[in-house]
Amino acid sequence: MPAIRNQIRELRAVREMTQQELADQVGVTRQTVIAIEQDKYSPSLETAFKVAIVLGVPLEQCFQYDPRGKR
Amino acid sequence: MATSLSYREKSLYASLAAEIFVYGPYFLLHRQNSVNNVAGMIIAIIVLQIILQSVIAASTRNRVTDERDRLIELRGYRAGYLTLASLMVIGLGLLWFHATVGHLQLESRMIGLHFLNVFFGMLVLADITKTATQIVSYRRAL
Repeated sequence: MPAIRNQIRELRAVREMTQQELADQVGVTRQTVIAIEQDKYSPSLETAFKVAIVLGVPLEQCFQYDPRGKR
Repeated sequence: MATSLSYREKSLYASLAAEIFVYGPYFLLHRQNSVNNVAGMIIAIIVLQIILQSVIAASTRNRVTDERDRLIELRGYRAGYLTLASLMVIGLGLLWFHATVGHLQLESRMIGLHFLNVFFGMLVLADITKTATQIVSYRRAL
């Protein structure tokens, strides 16, 4: 289980937003959005805030920290 | 889920292909006996890289790079530096060995070319390590 998990895929699906649309609005590549959704990459605090703002939810609804998780 | 390659990934694959295509024959087919070959190889890698990178840049609409690209780039440079530093230590150790024992019997004209190839080979290995590390980092969790 990764240390930082996220609900981006679910939140994006509710808003019918594509990975490319989210990536464009946040200012990252689509491959980075894919890596974040698959828990293969933990974004910087700045990018995490941008994702939460674009999705219109508080940061903690978007990202969760598990101290028992790996890395 | 389908994951197409980003601009940076395409660029890295092209760089690795160019490096293997040019450096491979040079080092594996023992063409290291002339300064002209070294010059030819350097010109070949520059021309090939310009052509490949131009084609990729022209054919890729979205050329955005982000924090993950920069992090992966740093990882690549770290791996490349560690490779270069390790090879330098080994190379200097071999030089010390030859200087001490004196088994290196080359014509004086060939000594410069010999060391040119050894140090150039170190740079090539470090560069290939850097590029390969970046490609692998794109496929693995960071």
